[in-house]
Amino acid sequence: MNLPYPAIIVEHLLYSFYSRREKILYVEVRRLSKAYGFSWALKDINLELHAGECVALLGPNGAGKTTLLKLLCGLLQPTTGEIHIDGAKLRQGPARLEPTIGFLSPNDHLYDKLTAQENLRLFLALYNREKEHGELETALAAAGLADWSREYVASLSSGMRCRLSIAKWLLLEPKLLLVDEPYGVLDGSGVDFLEAYLKNARDRGGVVVMATHHVARVAAFCSRAVILRRGRMIFDEAKRAPWESFHRAVGEFLPRGETWPS
Amino acid sequence: MAFLKQTAWLLWKDLLLELRRRESLLAMFFFGTLLLFIFHFALDVQPDKAADMAPGLLWLALVFCGTLGLMQLFQAERENRCLEALLLSPIDRAAIFLSKVLFNLTLMVLLEIVVFPLFWVLFNLTLWERLPWVFLYGLLGTVGFCVLGTLFSALTLSARGREILLPLLLLPLMIPVILATIRGMEIILRAGDFQESLPWLHLLIGFDVIFLTAGILVFEWVVES
Repeated sequence: MNLPYPAIIVEHLLYSFYSRREKILYVEVRRLSKAYGFSWALKDINLELHAGECVALLGPNGAGKTTLLKLLCGLLQPTTGEIHIDGAKLRQGPARLEPTIGFLSPNDHLYDKLTAQENLRLFLALYNREKEHGELETALAAAGLADWSREYVASLSSGMRCRLSIAKWLLLEPKLLLVDEPYGVLDGSGVDFLEAYLKNARDRGGVVVMATHHVARVAAFCSRAVILRRGRMIFDEAKRAPWESFHRAVGEFLPRGETWPS
Repeated sequence: MAFLKQTAWLLWKDLLLELRRRESLLAMFFFGTLLLFIFHFALDVQPDKAADMAPGLLWLALVFCGTLGLMQLFQAERENRCLEALLLSPIDRAAIFLSKVLFNLTLMVLLEIVVFPLFWVLFNLTLWERLPWVFLYGLLGTVGFCVLGTLFSALTLSARGREILLPLLLLPLMIPVILATIRGMEIILRAGDFQESLPWLHLLIGFDVIFLTAGILVFEWVVES
């Protein structure tokens, strides 16, 4: 339904007011567990994510970060537990057909033998978000890929693929964006582009969950940190200053000699 | 409408990728014509026996070539984990299934356009007026093969040793469709009597409809598990 312009302004103001006053619950995870064979990759995860939150998902290798991301977007089925997105149980009913969840995996989810532009056109069509040619070019230019829009993805470097993935989600505008270790492949301007996009998504009331090992970077950027270890959630706190508890919790899986800048 | 649009986009993507990669179709053409030549020179089929033997040999070649195509059917989705990207998108899973069936069918029909006339010439089948009927049986048999093949190709997608597993699982279930196609073709070639071959035609149509419906219904479960 198209609202008249003043109504949109009022709706926006009310949303901004209430989202600041009381957090709007967007994702609810209850007693979530996932087993691969006889070993638990995740055990008893309870989590509430609110509109406008940017959550850093941290933990050593094998902690279950990617598994949690894949469960949140429905690519994996939980062994036990439930996930509710915007009030609807994930993978049941029409909610699963809503284009609300994005999964940014830096080197994946793009067809090698399609050009950058063709990849965008395909996914926009599948998400029923077809855009004008100019909008695609603008998104590609914002990602720094204006000169590579007609190149096959196979010929792009991993950093450029990551930029293309960001451009894809920039155009698709998901409400919940899950990001799996983006920093490793991006150069300085790529990181700026990513963080500007994530900040914009968060400010629009979206939820961002970012799994990474770049602790200092996300500690500065995110509003909350969740730490997993061996499939269990050992830390979940909103950012504050000073944040000594986070410093202690994260210290054990930082490289030797590296400290988190307070 | 959205379902058809999504199916069309996915089919466009598969055809474009095949045009650029040229992996499946070239291998199928080469293998198909090679097998027909081998059968022709090795078996030395007499003209009076051609109607009895030719359909079986033709379908042997088509099934082998089709299986080669099925092995590659989800290759683009395996690379860069693109299947995840499709499953993440808000599309009906049946659209993925239908687009893959149509893509596979396109490859097989292109193959048959080359192989059928070649087979006609090599086996001295002079009754050209019967070619459309034979082609009709070939098309219905191909639809059955593509529907079931796509389903099993998806089923074995993440299985170890899928190259061995796929034909092992697929071929026993393909027996009704292969048998009906071969018997129908044989009757057409031998007697030229379309009425006599009708029971086989009905069986083929029934098989195609049942497995297409079943495929659309179960594909979601197959591809997501």
